[in-house]
Amino acid sequence: MDLDEDDFVFFGTPIEREEEITSRKKKAVAEASGQLRTLPVWKQEVTDEEGRRRFHGAFTGGFSAGYYNTVGSKEGWAPQKFVSSRKNRAEVKQQSILNFLDEDERADLEGQSLGTSMQFDTFGFTAGELARKQAEKEQQQRPSAIPGPIPDELVLPATESIGVKLLLKMGWRHGHSIKDSRPNSLYDARREARKAFLAFSSDDAKAQLAESESVQGNLESITEQPTNDDVQSYQSTPVYVRNPKQDLYGLGFDPYKHAPEFREKKRSRMSGKRETGNRKAYSTKDNLFGFKSGNVAPGFGIGALEEFDAEDEDVYAAGFDFVDTYVQEVEEPSRLMTDSKPKLLAKETGVLPGFRVASNSDYQLERFDPPVIPKDFVPCHKFPGPLETNYRLADSPPPEVPPPEDNNLKLLIEGVATLVARCGKLYEDLSKEKNQSNPLFNFLTGGNGHDYYARKLWEERQKRTDQSRQQVDVKLSSSMRKMTAESRGKILGERPLERSIKDLSSSVASAEGIQLQFNLSDTFTEPASSSGLHEAVKPFKDDPAKQERFERFLKEKYQGGLRSTDSSGSSNMSEASRARERLDFEAAAEAIQKGQWGKESKHFSATGGMQFTSGGVEQAKGTEAEDLITKKMFPKREELQWRPAPVLCKRFDLIDPYMGKPAPAPRMRSKIDTLIFTSDSAKETKVEETIIANRDFSMLQSDVQGISQDVANKENEVEVEVENVERPVDLYKAIFSDDSDDEGETTSLNKVENPEKKIEAATTTLNRLIAGDFLESLGKELGLEVPPDLPQSTNMAKTSASQKEAANTNVGDSNILPVKNNPSSTVFSETLNHEVPHNRKIAIEGRSEKNEVIHGKLAKSVGIYMETGSTENNLDKVDLEKRVHEDSKAKTPSSRHKNWNSNSSSEDERSRKQSRRHRRRSGDSDSDSSSDHRDRYRSRSKGRKKESSREKSGSSRRHSKHHKHRSRDSPGRSRYDSDREHREAKREKRKKRD
Amino acid sequence: MSELEVPGKEANVLKGHEGAVLAARFNSDGNYCLSCGKDRTIRLWNPHRGIHIKTYKSHAREVRDVHVTPDNSKLCSCGGDRQIFYWDVSTGRVIRKFRGHDGEVNAVKFNEYSSVVVSAGYDQSLRAWDCRSHSTEPIQIIDSFSDSVMSVCLTKSEIIGGSVDGTVRTFDIRIGREISDDLGQPVNCISLSNDGNCILASCLDSTLRLLDRTSGELLQEYKGHTCKSYKLDCCLTNTDAHVTGGSEDGFIYFWDLVDASVVSSFRAHSSVVTSVSYHPKDSCMITASVDGTIRVWKT
Repeated sequence: MDLDEDDFVFFGTPIEREEEITSRKKKAVAEASGQLRTLPVWKQEVTDEEGRRRFHGAFTGGFSAGYYNTVGSKEGWAPQKFVSSRKNRAEVKQQSILNFLDEDERADLEGQSLGTSMQFDTFGFTAGELARKQAEKEQQQRPSAIPGPIPDELVLPATESIGVKLLLKMGWRHGHSIKDSRPNSLYDARREARKAFLAFSSDDAKAQLAESESVQGNLESITEQPTNDDVQSYQSTPVYVRNPKQDLYGLGFDPYKHAPEFREKKRSRMSGKRETGNRKAYSTKDNLFGFKSGNVAPGFGIGALEEFDAEDEDVYAAGFDFVDTYVQEVEEPSRLMTDSKPKLLAKETGVLPGFRVASNSDYQLERFDPPVIPKDFVPCHKFPGPLETNYRLADSPPPEVPPPEDNNLKLLIEGVATLVARCGKLYEDLSKEKNQSNPLFNFLTGGNGHDYYARKLWEERQKRTDQSRQQVDVKLSSSMRKMTAESRGKILGERPLERSIKDLSSSVASAEGIQLQFNLSDTFTEPASSSGLHEAVKPFKDDPAKQERFERFLKEKYQGGLRSTDSSGSSNMSEASRARERLDFEAAAEAIQKGQWGKESKHFSATGGMQFTSGGVEQAKGTEAEDLITKKMFPKREELQWRPAPVLCKRFDLIDPYMGKPAPAPRMRSKIDTLIFTSDSAKETKVEETIIANRDFSMLQSDVQGISQDVANKENEVEVEVENVERPVDLYKAIFSDDSDDEGETTSLNKVENPEKKIEAATTTLNRLIAGDFLESLGKELGLEVPPDLPQSTNMAKTSASQKEAANTNVGDSNILPVKNNPSSTVFSETLNHEVPHNRKIAIEGRSEKNEVIHGKLAKSVGIYMETGSTENNLDKVDLEKRVHEDSKAKTPSSRHKNWNSNSSSEDERSRKQSRRHRRRSGDSDSDSSSDHRDRYRSRSKGRKKESSREKSGSSRRHSKHHKHRSRDSPGRSRYDSDREHREAKREKRKKRD
Repeated sequence: MSELEVPGKEANVLKGHEGAVLAARFNSDGNYCLSCGKDRTIRLWNPHRGIHIKTYKSHAREVRDVHVTPDNSKLCSCGGDRQIFYWDVSTGRVIRKFRGHDGEVNAVKFNEYSSVVVSAGYDQSLRAWDCRSHSTEPIQIIDSFSDSVMSVCLTKSEIIGGSVDGTVRTFDIRIGREISDDLGQPVNCISLSNDGNCILASCLDSTLRLLDRTSGELLQEYKGHTCKSYKLDCCLTNTDAHVTGGSEDGFIYFWDLVDASVVSSFRAHSSVVTSVSYHPKDSCMITASVDGTIRVWKT
C-alpha cells in the first residue's frame, strides 16, 4: 500500500502546502465513502481527517499517540524561546512557516536574496520581482477573491527600469525598435519630417496594430511581428498588451486547446465580424475536444475524468445517420484590405504571413515513367558458368601428358587448372591477359606445359561434373518426366513454401492427448471401412508388381497390425525408391479414400491412371483437399482438468469434485524454479508436436519435402532442448540430499541400471543412425539439405545422461511409472514408423528391447513378483501389478524388498519435509513423460481395446494426458499441476498404506 | 417446418435508446425484455405492448450485456467500464458492483439459482462473482482462453464460454473438467439449444456452427448472412426447429436446423442487427440494432 510509504512519522509539524492537504483529504474522503465500507472489519483502516493512518505497527510508531507521534502539543516541536504564558495566557501564538525556516531558506522564500538594486536594474527584473513580492504580501494580509499566490502575469513592474529610462531620454519611445541611428542624415531628416507629417495617422496605425495583436492571442504575439513592413518605416517593438478577456469562458479555459485550427477560424471570423458589424450565427458544435476521427458515439459525452480511447469511437457510426446540425458558413468574399494589415490578409488566404500565393508557379512535380520492360525479358538469371562444364564433357579428353619437370610450374599449372575448372573460362581469359608478359604463365597461351595444363583442366572438370552430376542425377530421374514448378524448384535447390503443412501440424499439435491416441489407433489398427472399395481400383495398372505392392500396402494400412519387414516385397529396390513408392502409395490411398468419402469416385477414376508422384497429387487435390482438411480439423475437442472453486460449487449447488483434495499449492515464484523446469516441459511439448505432425502428415498425404524438413527441424529442436534438462536435478541433489544412505541407494541403483542404459543408448543410436541415413538419402533425392549429423553424438550422450538422472529420481520416487523411454528416440521411431515401413521393424525391435530392459529393471529395482515376459502387452499388466504390489507391500512390510524398503521410507521422510519438493517434482515430470510414452505405446499395441484399458489405468493416465496439454501453453502451470497431482497420488498411497 | 412458423411481422418498435442498442434480452417468461446500448443505459420494456417501463442508469460506458434472474428481481449488466453491476429491478438501484476485469466485459449471465454471476471479458477470462456474500472479489477466475471471451452460457452444472481464439470451452463444475472445442474461427456468440444438447456458435467467418455438446461434433453450418466484424447474436427458436441470427446488413436470417437452408430472411433494420432474442414459449422475437431501435417480430 502506498499509504504506508507516505505515512512517515515526523518530528515537528511538516510544512504543508495547500494542495497536498487537499489531495490527501480528497483521498481520505474517497476511501471512506468508497471501498472502506465494503471491506471487512479487519481490512479497514482508521485514518484521521487528513487521511493519515492512525494505527501503525510497533516499528512505525505504534498507534499515533498525541499529535501524530510528535511532541505532545499542538504546535509540535516548536523552536521558540520560552515565554511565560502566565501573563498572557489567552494570547494566541501565531506561528508561521517563517518561524521554522533557516535564514537562507527564509531569504529564499521572501525573495530577500542578493539582487541588483534598483539603480542598476537595467531590465527591471528586480523591480518586477519586488513589486510581485509586495503584492503577494498585501494579498496575504487581506484575502482576496482569488485564493493562493497571485499569478505572475497579473503583476507587472510598477517602475520603469533604468535602461528604459535611459532609452527614453535618448529619444526612444515605447513601441519602437532600438536600432542604431542611421548614418544617413538625409534619411534622418526625411524621417523626422515624415514623422511630423504622419504623427496622427501613425498613431492610428499603432492602435490598430495593437488591436490585431490582441486578437491574435498570446502565442505569437511577439514573434510574429512583421519585420519588413513598408508602411511603418521604422521598426517597432511591440507594446506588450495582454489579451483582454472577451469571451464568456472560465478563467484559463482554452476551448481551442486541442484544436488550434479552430482558433484561426474563429479569429478570422471575429475580425470579419468586427469589420462588417454583421453577426452571423454559426454552429458552436465545432469539436471542442480534439478527437481523432470525430466519431464519438452520439447522444452523450463521457465522464470528466476519463479519456477518450480507441474504443470510444463509435464503430457503429457508419450505419447510424445522426443528423448533423453543423451549419457550413459561407466564406465571405475578402474585403478590401489596407496595406497596413497584410497579416490579416495573409491569415485569411491561409499562407505564411507576409506572403501571397503566386498565381503561377514554376515548380512542377516531375514524374518519370517506369522503365519499359522488353517483351522478351525473362525474369530469371541464367548462369552460363556451370552449364559450360556440362557440354564440355562431350569433348574428347586431351592426351595424358607427363607433368613438366619443374615442380613449381607443375604446382602452378595444377592450381590454375583447378581454379579455371571452378570459375569457368572467364578466369582463364583473365589470367591470360594479366600474365601475358609473365613467362611462368606461358602454358596458358600454348607455351611450355600447355599440354599438361589442358589435361589437368579436363581432369578437374571431369571431377566437378561428376560431383554435380551425382547431385543432379537423382533429381533428374524424378523430374525428367514432367517439369513442374516444384520439380524445377527442387533442381534449383529451392525450398518450397510450406503452406498447408505448417498450419496443419501446428494446429494438430495443439490437439489433445486423447486425440493423439485416436489418431494413432486410426493409422495403426484401423479396420478400414474402405477396405471393400480399394480392391476394385487399380491406380498402378501399368505396373503389376507395383500394383501388387500397393495392394499389400493398402491391406496393411487398413487392416492394421504391425507391418512386416518385407512388406514392400521389393528387397531389390533401393531405399530411396522404396520410400518414394511408399509416398506414392500413400497418395493413391488417400485419393481413393477421398474419392469414396467425398462421393467423388469420378474424380478418382480420372486420376486412376495417372502417376502418383508426390508433387502431382498435391496439385490435383487443390482446394477441395484443404476444405476437407479444415472440416476434418475443426471442431477439435480437447479435455483438460479444471478445478472449480469450492464456493462456486456451493453456489451451483453441486458437490465439489475436488472435495477433500488439498488446495492447490501456490505457484512457485522462485526464479531458479522457472529457469530449471521450463526446459523439461518444453521438451515434452516438442516431442508431442513432432509426432503429431508426422501423424498428420501421413494421414493427409501432404508434401514430402515439407515434412522431412519439418522432421529435421523438429529433430534439431528436440536436440537443443534436451540439453539442460538434467542439470537442475543435480543442483538440487547437491543442495538437498544430505542423507548419506539415500545417496548410497541411488548410486547402487545407478550401477544396476548402467547396462540397461547402455542398451538403450545403443538402440537410440541405432535408430538415429538409421533415421539419419534415411533422411539423408531422401533429402538427397529431393534435393534438400540434410542437417548435419553432428549433434547426434552429443545428444546421445546427453540423453543417456538424462536417462541416468531420470533413473535416479525414479528410484527415489515410489510413485513413478516403470517405463523409461528416451523421448528423442521415441520421436525417431515414431517418425520412422510413419515414413518408411521397412524402418519400422527396427524401431519396434528397439522398442521391445527396451521393454525387456525395463522389465528387467523393474525386477531388479523394485523386486516384483510378476511374470517378466517381454511381450508388449505386458506393460499394462506391469502397471497394474505394480499397483497391486504396492498395496500388498503396504500390508506386509516384511515382504518388502530391501531396496524398496529403504527407498520408500526415505521417500516418506522426504515427503514430510516441505523443502524437498523440488526433487519430487522433477521426478514427477519424468514419470509423466514415461507415462506418456506408455500411453502411446499401449494405444498402438492394444488398438481398439483401449477404451477398456483406459478405464483400468485410471486417473494417473488422465492426469498425464492433461499435463501434456497444459504444458504446451504454460509450462508453469503444468509444473504446478504435476506437483499437485503428485502429492495427491502420494497422499492416496499413504492412506492405503495406513 | 413451414415458413409460417417463423416470425416475420413487425409487431412493435421500441424506440428510446440514443445510439446503438447492443443487446436485447427477453426475461425468463418472455413478458418483458431488457435492452442496453451505447447510451450507457439499460431499459426495461414490455415488448408486447411496446412500452418503455424503466431506465437503469449507472454505467459509465456503454452497456454490452444484460441478464435478468428468473424471478425478475435482479439484473446484472456489464460493459465498457469493466464492471459488472448487480441491480435491483424494482428500485433501479445498484446493489453491488463487481470490479476485477482488466478489460471491457462482453457478456454476463446469472446461474440457475441467480446466486452467481459469470462474466466474460476482453481480458481473456471468465469470472464468477458471488451475489450472496458481500465480497466483491471473484470466486472463480477462468483464464484458459487465449483471446477475448465474447460470450458465456450457463447450464445447471456447466459454464460455457466462447472466445475469439476460436474455442468454445465448457467448464464442467460437477466433474472438474474443461472441454475445449476448437472451431478454428473466432467465436462471437454462443447460445444453447433449448434441449441443452447443442451449442450454436456464431463465428466471424459469417458462419453459424452447431456443435453437439457431448461429442464435440460439428453438426451443421449455417451460412448466408454477413458477420465479419461485429458481435452479432444468434439463437435457436423456441422449438429448436430453426436457427436465427442477425446480419451486418440489417437482415435477419432463419435457417432450418437440420438441413441448414435459409427458411426466411428479411430486412429488419437499417443497420447492423446486434442482438436477437427469442421468446421462450411463443413464436416471437426481438431484434436490436445499431440504428437505435428494438423491433418485436411475431408470426
